[in-house]
Amino acid sequence: MEDDDLVFKALADPTRRHLLDRLFERDGRTLSELEEDVEMTRFGVMKHLRVLEEAGLVVSRRSGREKHHFLNPVPIRLIHDRWIDKYTESRVSALSELKTQLEGR
Amino acid sequence: MTTITAQSTQVYQVYIRAGAEEIWEAICKPEFTERYFHGARVENTPKLHTVIGTDDSDWGSAATFEFDPPRRLVHGWRSAYDPELAAEEESRVTWEIEPKEGGYCLLTVVHDRLEGAPKTAESVSGAGWMFVLSGLKTLLETGQPLAG
Repeated sequence: MEDDDLVFKALADPTRRHLLDRLFERDGRTLSELEEDVEMTRFGVMKHLRVLEEAGLVVSRRSGREKHHFLNPVPIRLIHDRWIDKYTESRVSALSELKTQLEGR
Repeated sequence: MTTITAQSTQVYQVYIRAGAEEIWEAICKPEFTERYFHGARVENTPKLHTVIGTDDSDWGSAATFEFDPPRRLVHGWRSAYDPELAAEEESRVTWEIEPKEGGYCLLTVVHDRLEGAPKTAESVSGAGWMFVLSGLKTLLETGQPLAG
């Protein structure tokens, strides 16, 4: 399976991570909404969205004439499950909470 | 700290190496669901979505809206498993199974109409559905429940 490769490739680009951040803030955005704060042509954004969709990180659903984009966190969870088991998870989440607090986010 | 409100429509997708009928069975029959759905015995029939918890109480039974085996299932969702969430409005869950080439299916879960159930939206978002779906995938692909 090369699914993981697609996920890592999709995440290895700042614009695509930014698009995922925008969907994390609010899901279900249309292409026009996603274009707003990206310095890029509509075609460029569409190209990045396609890479994210191929990796399964973004799912688009049609509702009437509009196409809405949703962040699909499952592939990232599957990568997580592969290397982090249930015993290490509590320690890791304690550390990531500490990091978040220290960084004042 | 930034607070992010959970979404009122949530979409999850996962590829599972199994046939559509197998996935349908694993979603609709309690002997399968108790191995990946927090121990709950879920049964889906054309009329009813029944959820019996590990304590034998009702964890959120609701009506079935669409029952089209082995492709599409739509049912209501009530969070009766938690007294604080139980008071919230009913939401809706859609399961879609799409066979792909090479013995895989794409399973899509849409949990929507969560506008009147913000705490439920919070509790099922992220880890909630992902835990269930990665457990379902593991069970179907390996025959073993996901540890935990």
